[in-house]
Amino acid sequence: MTSPFQDLCSQTLFDAVPEAMLLIDKSGYVVLTNSAARQLLGYSEKEIIGLEVEALMPRQYHEHHRHYRNAFNENPEQRNMGTGAVLDVLCQDGKVLKVDIGLTPVRMTDQKFTLASIRVADRRRQAEEALRTSEERLRLSKQAANLAVFDFGPNYIIKHWDEKMSVLWGAEAESELSDKQFLTVIHPDDRHAREYALNSATDPAGKGKYKIEYRVIEPATGAERWVIALGRVFFKNGVASRLIGVARDITERKLLSKKLQQYRNETESLLAQQVAAQTASAIAHELNQPLAAISAYGEVALHAFENDSIDETTIKHALESCIEQAHRAGKSLHELIAFLQKGDLIKEQFNLNDLVKEAVNIARGDDYGHFTPELQIEENLATVIGNKIQIQKILVNLLRNAIEAVRTINTASPPITITVRNNSEIKMVHVTVKDKGPGLNADIAQRVFEPFFTTKPTGVGMGLAISRALTEANGGKMWLDPSDGTGAAFHFTLPLAS
Amino acid sequence: MSTDTSTVFIIDDEPAIRDSLTLMIRQEGITVKTYDSGKAFLAAHHEGSLGCAIVDVKMPDMDGLQLQEYLARKNIQLPIIFLTGHGDIPMSVRAIKAGAVDFLTKPVTREKLLTAIHSALNEAKRILSENANHQHAETLLAGLTERERDVMLLAIQGHHNKEIARLLEISHRTVEIHKSKIMHKTGAMNLLDLARLAHDGGVS
Repeated sequence: MTSPFQDLCSQTLFDAVPEAMLLIDKSGYVVLTNSAARQLLGYSEKEIIGLEVEALMPRQYHEHHRHYRNAFNENPEQRNMGTGAVLDVLCQDGKVLKVDIGLTPVRMTDQKFTLASIRVADRRRQAEEALRTSEERLRLSKQAANLAVFDFGPNYIIKHWDEKMSVLWGAEAESELSDKQFLTVIHPDDRHAREYALNSATDPAGKGKYKIEYRVIEPATGAERWVIALGRVFFKNGVASRLIGVARDITERKLLSKKLQQYRNETESLLAQQVAAQTASAIAHELNQPLAAISAYGEVALHAFENDSIDETTIKHALESCIEQAHRAGKSLHELIAFLQKGDLIKEQFNLNDLVKEAVNIARGDDYGHFTPELQIEENLATVIGNKIQIQKILVNLLRNAIEAVRTINTASPPITITVRNNSEIKMVHVTVKDKGPGLNADIAQRVFEPFFTTKPTGVGMGLAISRALTEANGGKMWLDPSDGTGAAFHFTLPLAS
Repeated sequence: MSTDTSTVFIIDDEPAIRDSLTLMIRQEGITVKTYDSGKAFLAAHHEGSLGCAIVDVKMPDMDGLQLQEYLARKNIQLPIIFLTGHGDIPMSVRAIKAGAVDFLTKPVTREKLLTAIHSALNEAKRILSENANHQHAETLLAGLTERERDVMLLAIQGHHNKEIARLLEISHRTVEIHKSKIMHKTGAMNLLDLARLAHDGGVS
């Protein structure tokens, strides 16, 4: 029984289908193609017939394909080549196309053939697949890193705000957040700092990097949370047009570091108290004996006069002993002070620039307040000699004082200038720490180095006194520049190693 | 206000303290002897001599409190005034509990020191007379027989002759004889006198 359409079916239909089709014999040679196939691959019929099928794929697949071809011939079935993966075909002009290929075994007069139908891969489907994978990957990594994502348009209008971000802001995950709400949740003390960071990030002259840590207050509970936001600003025509970035809850880290700092401060003050108590006790002991003797001798002399029983020898002896004991007390005191000052003063040679950077890091890290260090450092700085710990203490003290001074200014991260330079004339390195605070009036300026002098409600008033004493113990000098009206400038010098 | 026979012993490692306090105390007509350590004092001290000690708390080797402890262990009853540079309260409480007369802080005023010395010397005299009474009473009580001692103990506890007789299983008459012998031997005027004597002699 033959169909009346048999003639039509063979060649005409074969040529009419829009899909590219190739008939391959069992040795792997192309025996028949339709016009769609020739068009797709860029071959004429004459060129393509008799080609080994591997000629139609990039070289790296040849060997594997021969192997797969044999396997298919042994176990022929209708299926997609490469089990659904997108495959490469090589066109006559050397172009590689992404395609899906279907394979159908065909049996004709004892011979086995394979019909390959080639369809250009669906790019949209592929793109969607890739997007889904990429989004899933992003979602998982956000989750793993506990990151929230934000995206602001020009003038900081919220363009995108993910669920995690809403949770950070204490809102329902699904609810929309208005721009105004967004700002009110930020801790009032931190709004300035955030604005400052935003302004520097959106400055077209800058690097466009946004990084700020601030607190948010959960509207419902009033609970405080620390957030770090990291972002990047994109500019269009020289104007910031977009800020995109991530935020993360760092409350735990903040609390931990605050606690650590607190412990450190407590330990330090406890140690200071103990040292003070020990020192006082040593002084008391050294002074008390001669004082007790002086008091007794004095009373002996006085009693002798009052009772008119003036025994000259006794009185003379008592008074001479008084003087002797007073001298002894003075001598003990001087020896003690010399000992205390000498105590742990191990001097070494070092580069002061490195120490300045360390001190700046300590001052920035200790929650004392924000500031922007402006280092003016002489690169070829001569090596100095001194006790590193003490000099670091001096620097941190001066920085803390400067931070206190600028705290009154309404700037989130006020600048503090630290200048380090050689002074070859006096063979010293000269350091200046200058703030832009209200400065010191003449009255206060005269007294700042006095022990127990303070203008702070909770200060002990020893910081500058100790700093100056330490500077002098290291062979330098410390002074305040009173002539400068735009903030206080503290100077100190340290001797060169050579 | 001379206290001719009493002596103040100053024990302090600090020469200026020894010297100045010596001058001060001598102005009161009191004899002073000084030692630069607890050991030097112990080596030189004659038991039974009337006086008191001014002892520095903080001394190398044997400190003031250790000296006090040593004297107590050896049953040497010497009133002690402690002197200290900076005495803390627990230390002074410990010293006073262990029988110190006073705990003074250097520098000490003449007035405070002399007041302390006078009360210490009074204490020394009290101890001395107590010891004298004790020795006297012991001598007197030593003459009593065993049975007389038993009768005396019951009598000063307030038992009547009848009860004593019953308790010791002797006759009423024998008790009377014992009692009269006791009074004669000790020279006690009455029962109360006898009770005091027994107390002084460390019997009761």
